[in-house]
Formats: sequence, C-alpha cells, structure tokens
Amino acid sequence: MAAVELRGLVKRFGSFVAVDDVSLTIDHGQLVCLLGPSGCGKTTTLRLIAGFLEPTGGEIRVGERVVSSRARTLPPEQRNMSMIFQSYALWPHMTVAENIVYGLRLRKMDRDMIAKKLAAILATTKLEPLAQRYPGELSGGQQQRVALARALIVGPETLLLDEPLSNLDANLREEMRFEIRRLHDEYRYTTVYVTHDQSEAMTTADLIAVMNAGKIDQLGTPEDIYARPESEFVARFIGAANVIKGIARDASHVAFAGATLEVVGAKLTAGQSAPVAIRQHEIQLSTQAPASQQNTLKAVVTRQVYLGMNRDYMVETPDGTSLRVSTPTETAVDKGSEVWLTLPPERCRALSR
Amino acid sequence: MITITTTSPKSRFDWTRPVLWLFAAVLVLLILLPLSWLAVFAFTDKSRHPTLQNFITLFSNPDFLDPLLTTAIIATTSALICCIVAAPISWLVSRTDMPGRQTIRALVTASFVTPPFLGAVAWELLAAPNSGLLNQLYRLFAGEDADALFNIYSLTGIIFVISCYTFPFVFVLVANALDTMPGELEDASAILGGKAWTTARRVTIPLALPALVAGALIAFLQAMTLFGSPAILALPAGFHTMTTKIWSLFQYPPKLELAAAAAVPLLLLTILLLQGQKALLGRRGYSVIGGKYGAPRRVELKGWRWAALGFCLVVLLNPVFLPYFALLNAAFSPNATTLVTASTATLHNIVFVFTELSSTQLALRNTVILGTATATIGTLLALVIAYVTTRKVIAGHRVLGFLATAPVAVPGIVLGVGLFLSYTRPPFVLYGTLWILLLAFLTINLPSAYQQLQAAFATIHPELEEASRILGATRLQALRQITAPLLRTGVIATWCFIFIGVMRELSAAIVLFTSQTKVLSVLIYDLNEGGDLAAIAVLGIAMLVITFAVVLAVNQIPMSGGNAGAKLRNG
Repeated sequence: MAAVELRGLVKRFGSFVAVDDVSLTIDHGQLVCLLGPSGCGKTTTLRLIAGFLEPTGGEIRVGERVVSSRARTLPPEQRNMSMIFQSYALWPHMTVAENIVYGLRLRKMDRDMIAKKLAAILATTKLEPLAQRYPGELSGGQQQRVALARALIVGPETLLLDEPLSNLDANLREEMRFEIRRLHDEYRYTTVYVTHDQSEAMTTADLIAVMNAGKIDQLGTPEDIYARPESEFVARFIGAANVIKGIARDASHVAFAGATLEVVGAKLTAGQSAPVAIRQHEIQLSTQAPASQQNTLKAVVTRQVYLGMNRDYMVETPDGTSLRVSTPTETAVDKGSEVWLTLPPERCRALSR
Repeated sequence: MITITTTSPKSRFDWTRPVLWLFAAVLVLLILLPLSWLAVFAFTDKSRHPTLQNFITLFSNPDFLDPLLTTAIIATTSALICCIVAAPISWLVSRTDMPGRQTIRALVTASFVTPPFLGAVAWELLAAPNSGLLNQLYRLFAGEDADALFNIYSLTGIIFVISCYTFPFVFVLVANALDTMPGELEDASAILGGKAWTTARRVTIPLALPALVAGALIAFLQAMTLFGSPAILALPAGFHTMTTKIWSLFQYPPKLELAAAAAVPLLLLTILLLQGQKALLGRRGYSVIGGKYGAPRRVELKGWRWAALGFCLVVLLNPVFLPYFALLNAAFSPNATTLVTASTATLHNIVFVFTELSSTQLALRNTVILGTATATIGTLLALVIAYVTTRKVIAGHRVLGFLATAPVAVPGIVLGVGLFLSYTRPPFVLYGTLWILLLAFLTINLPSAYQQLQAAFATIHPELEEASRILGATRLQALRQITAPLLRTGVIATWCFIFIGVMRELSAAIVLFTSQTKVLSVLIYDLNEGGDLAAIAVLGIAMLVITFAVVLAVNQIPMSGGNAGAKLRNG
C-alpha cells in the first residue's frame, strides 16, 4: 500500500474547468473525504484518481509511480484500486457471489483460494444467506454491502467511494457510515471518499478536503473544518454559520452594526472589510441588557419558530443584517421584540477569504 | 482474514483504439465513397470533364420534367391523404373509448410491415381494369360490358396504393405524441373553464400538431423515394416517376451521368425534409416533462363508439383486408384473378413456386445468405458504433454517430446508383457479386440498427462497465463479460430487424442485381413483369409470415418496447 498524491491536478472539459490546480496527499491508510456541493469537482477528482478520466494538467502518483499525467494515463484496470459507485453498479446478470469474486477471477486466483476469500468476506458483510441471489432481489442496504464486499475482496491499494450512501434511506445511511469507518479501521486501505453530506464526512474521515469551484478550499480534520473555518464558503457550507460583514479596527477587533466585536482566527488589517463567522447556537439571546457590554449587539426579532429541541430565531441588527439564532426552548420572545445578542469572542472567527 | 493481493492484472496493449479507428474508416468508405462517385458523375460528362449539362438536360427536357412533376404530385397528395386518414384514427385509438383499439393498432402495424411493392401487386389483383376482382364484382351488377370501375394503372391508383402503405408512418408519430401527452394538460384547461372543443383546439391539437406535420414530411419522403409501387403501377400506364426514371436510365444504353444527376435532387430534398422533421419534433420536448402524470382521460364517444370502429375498419380494408384476401385467393386459385371455391382450391401454385420455378431456389438462397450476412455484420458494426457514441470512447465519436445515421437521408435508389458507380470500376469491382448487395443492404439498415442499439446501450449504466475496469478488467474484457450479456436481447432484436429489412428491400437491389444475384424482392418484381401473379402471392405470403413471426417474437422481448413495426424502413 502506498500514499496517493495529487500534484497540481487540472481537468478541463472544453472551456469549463472542473478541477482547478488541486494538490493533495493522502497518506498510506488514511481516509480522506472530498466534500462539497454538486458541481464542485469532487467526483471528477475521484474519476481522475481512478483513471476513468485523463488529466489536462498535473499528475497523480501512487507511491513512487506516476499513474496519471498529461503524457500518459494508466488505464483503471492497472491501478490496483477498487471503487464503490453511487449506483453500486452491481451486474444484474450475475449472482451476489459471482459479483463479489469477479475481481479475483480476473487475477487468475485458484478456485480454493477464491472460495476461502468469498466465505470470509460474506461473513464480514453478513451476506452469507444471500450469496446465490441476484442483485435485483436485494434491498438497497444489501446491495450496498455487496458493492462493499466486491470492492474489498481484491485487497486494493486504494479504495475509492463515490457518494456510496446517497441512495439509502436516512436510518440505513447512518448505520452504514459507521460500518464504512469500522471496515476502514479493520483493513486500513488508503481511501478517498466523495460526498456532499457533511455529517457523513465528519463520521468517516481522517481528513476532510472541502471543495468549491474545482479547488480545495480548506483541508483539515473534521474538527478543524467545523470549529476553525478559514473561508466564508466553508463556514456557510459546514454547519450553516452566520457570516457578518464588519470592518476591521485592528488585528482582532471588528466594527459591526454600531458595536465592536473581539474576534479570533485570521489576523486582520485595520480598515479592511472583515467577514466573521459565528454559528447560530453560539449566539446568546436575552431580553435584558447583559451585565457585560463586551461583544453585545441590539437586534429585533423578525421570526420565531418552535422546533421541539430548540427555538429558531431570525433577528435583524440595526444595520439591516439578518442573523439566525438557536436558543433553548424556554427563551420565548415574540416577533418585533427588542433583544440583546452576545457573541462570545472565542466563537467569532474572522475569515481570511 | 483478507490478505492483500498486490499482484495487479498483467498490463496489455489496449486494442480498442485501432479497432475503433478501423470501424470509422469502414463507415466512411461505406457512405462517402458511393456519394462521392454520385457527385462526380452528376457534374461531369462521359470523359469526366466538369459540366452542368446533366442538370440542364434534367430541368429542360420534358422526358425528365414530367416525372419530376408526377413525383411532386404523388408525394404531396399522398402526404395529405395520409394525414387526413391517420390523424383521426390515431386520435380514436389513443384518446377515446372506441372498442377494439388494440386490434386497430395491430392492423396498422400489419400495413406498416407489408412491403409496399407487395401491396401494389395485391391491388393489381383487385383493381386491374379487366381482370381485377373488384371490377369483376362491379360487372356482376352493372353488366358485362360496363367500363371498369377502378383502374389501378393510373395516377390516382398510384397515389391510393402509396397512401395505403405510407399512412402508418403518420399514425405512429401522432399516436405516440397523443399517448405520451399527459392527461393533466387537458384537465388543467377543463378546470379553468375550457369546454371540450376549446380544450381540443387550444391544448390537444397544438400539442399534437408538430407530430402531424413531421409525419406529413416523412410520408412525403416515402412517397417520393418509393420505387416498387410506381414501377409496378405507373410503367404499364405509360408514365414515369423520378425513381422509375432513374432506373430506366440504367437500361440499355445506360446513361449513368443523367442517372446520377437525377438522384441529386432526391438526395437534397430528403436531407432537407429530415432536417425539417427533426426541428419540428425537437421542439416537442415540453410534452414529456416530468414523469408523475396520470394516464390521459379517454373521451367518451357514447353512441358513436361503434361508428368510429366501423370507420377504422373501412379504412383498413384498403391496406390490409382486401389485399391480403386477394393474395390468399391468388395463392390457392388456379387463376390468380378468379375467386377460389372449395372445389377449385389447389396447392399447385405453392408446389410450383418452391419446386419447379428455377429462379426461386436461387433467389431464396441469395436472400438467406445476404440476410444472414447483413444482419450479422450490420449488428456488429452498429454495436461498436453505439458503444463508442454512448460511452464517448474516442474523440470524434459524434462524427461516427452522424455517419451511422446519415444513410437515413439517402433514398435506396440513390444509394443503388452511387454503389453501382463506385463498384463497377477498379480497384473495387463488385458489380455482379453478392458483395455489392451486401454493401447496399448494410448501408440501408445501419441507421435503424444503430439507433436501436444506442437505445439499448443507454439503459446500461456506464458505472457497470467502470466497476469491472477498476477491478482489473481491460476494456474488451469488460465488454465481453458485462456489457455483452446485458445487451443480448437488444442484439437479437436488431439482428432480426435487419434480416427482415433485407428481405423487403427493392429499390437499391433493382439497380444492383444481375441474373446470378437475384433476391426475393427482385424476383417478385420480375414475376410481376411476366404476369405470374399467383407465384408472387405465394412468395409474398411466405415473406409476410416470416415478417409477422419476427415482429411478434421481438415484441415479446421486454427491452425493445412495443413498437417493433416502427423500426422497419420501406424501400
């Protein structure tokens, strides 16, 4: 097994740049998630790694070997990778067992060995009773596990997953997330996982690469990405944070809606515009002026919805900015009331982009 | 538990690219070579000096102007009649509660798959001025010396017979448009206060109109490029259409330059009309938006239900009941135009055709050889091209797809002329062999085969192939192990349709055959010239039985859908 390395990878379709200068190293045995909205280039990146597409520029290495470059692209069958497809791509004319052992047969493995490996993987994926069924006779979750078994049995150097859970219902999806992570911990393949679902990425990934418009916007651990977003795009895409547009006073203070907020994160330059992210449940809302005036704002409630676990407020600050605030259910404030917001300094993250 | 297999499959040379380029080259040769020779001959004189004289002759000599005019009249009136007949029938079948709708559909399909030249012969049996069965019937009432009621050897006769076997084209397009038109669109108009007639006028008719006009264009095209019916009915009446004129230019002494020039307007008009049809149907996209529409509400005809059925059956007398009856009668009667009775019924004709008629053996053998070879090669060719275009394997796959559909715009007789010019000279002297017919049939059947297989490929998700590639299969292995088994039914259906297509083809074969390379359709045409109508009836019925068997069998295959008849092309 070996690390997968993307260096300055570019893919153009005509004039459209799908992947724009992406560099990324996936260490041996690591699981990296490519996370982003549809059209951000994450699936194209995965298909470049698989060898289904040829790059327009840059290169892909597996270990010391260059597998894709402008000059030469190794066909997918020679990459010793496996992939789980969004549609599962189970062959409808083969039984579950035939689907699973297909890769081993191509490798000319002897019959006994194939039988042994098949028995093992059927046990791991709890598919023994279904071995002789056809894919059309299985439920979505079972098909998903067959796809997983088929990809894992060949013992690939690299495992690629293309939105593997998007066709499952919500309950099953949650279960399979942990299942994928468990299998990864068991076998430690170098894995690239493409998804648009942030909670899926959070549960499975060692590292998340948030992609936007063909570029990696931010690369980091799930905690980095959630707690320390660097750009407005990441802040909004992960956990739907509020982003307020202030003006920097100095390196760590921002003027906004008549107040001065102390912030952390990116170093600011006085006088420059400064986007600041804060999540809805980190804003405190009160009907009386708080004791400390630090990082407080006045606002008016424009909408209030009871959601069961919490209350969801839309408030408007004096400069007309709308912010979403999530509070415990006890704080009930009517629409039109004046409230005080406290934005804790350690939760206000100045963004560099 | 699972050990790591690090041996990746052996790397091999990827043969697909050279193979694909070879196919592209074959296509170019197949289509561009005959058309290029056609152009060369049309624009040169006998010593190959460039000239426009051929076209000047064509457009000034009454010998050529008359057929041009005749063809225009036939094509226009036939198209009009087809619309007038097909529109109400398709509406009745698709949107009303008329009884027997499925039967009517089946009967229209029957007239669709009847080779037009066979229909023309059948109508000779029915309406020849002296011996025609209908005229005999008329004389029973009007007296022995009365003039014939019908004369099929006339412009009207030709228009009638051509319309009989062309209206299904309009029917299929319009019925299809009405079938897929969501009932909610009409309901929405009704709920807003539109009365039945307003709804029909403002919603239903505008939605179906593009299909009707497109159908009219196709009918026009068919009528214009048909060879069999006019040759059988117009020549005895002493006049020509463009196709028969082109054919006559091949008779001794051959005037190849003029034949080539005469083919050019046919070719250009066909391309133009097909473009028009594409534009019309292309804009029809709005009628298939979304998938959550209910079945359309059927209009209740109440007391008119049976009258409507009667109307459909009366119309279908002409392409189906009467001609089939005449053919059956002729097959079992000692004299083709005498009504058969229990005492006169004979199997003599059948015995004669299959054991004594020397040319039958040869024609049958040639047809089977050509049918099998064309179907096999054509399916293979279409398969590869459909693969390349749906999977976008090589740069320029669009060009390949375009080339594969291009023959649609080349009328059979035009292709025949082009092939004749290309393969009667070195380096390819194929005239007089079955090879030249093979090329013709291959080219003619390629577009529909390609379209059918492309549709079949589209139902196979590309990820199925990719899954096999990433697990270590080469492209060819993936094709063999994954794609081929999944395509099996589509491939069999395509093979069968090409086979039938070969059996029915006349207009290219008539230019290309020699005495040793006669095929079934040419034999039928020859027998007609010799007046041997009983033998034609026997051969024609045999041909129809095979065709119906295949169409029925293919309709049983779930993948290829319910409209098998629509994939045939008349020649």
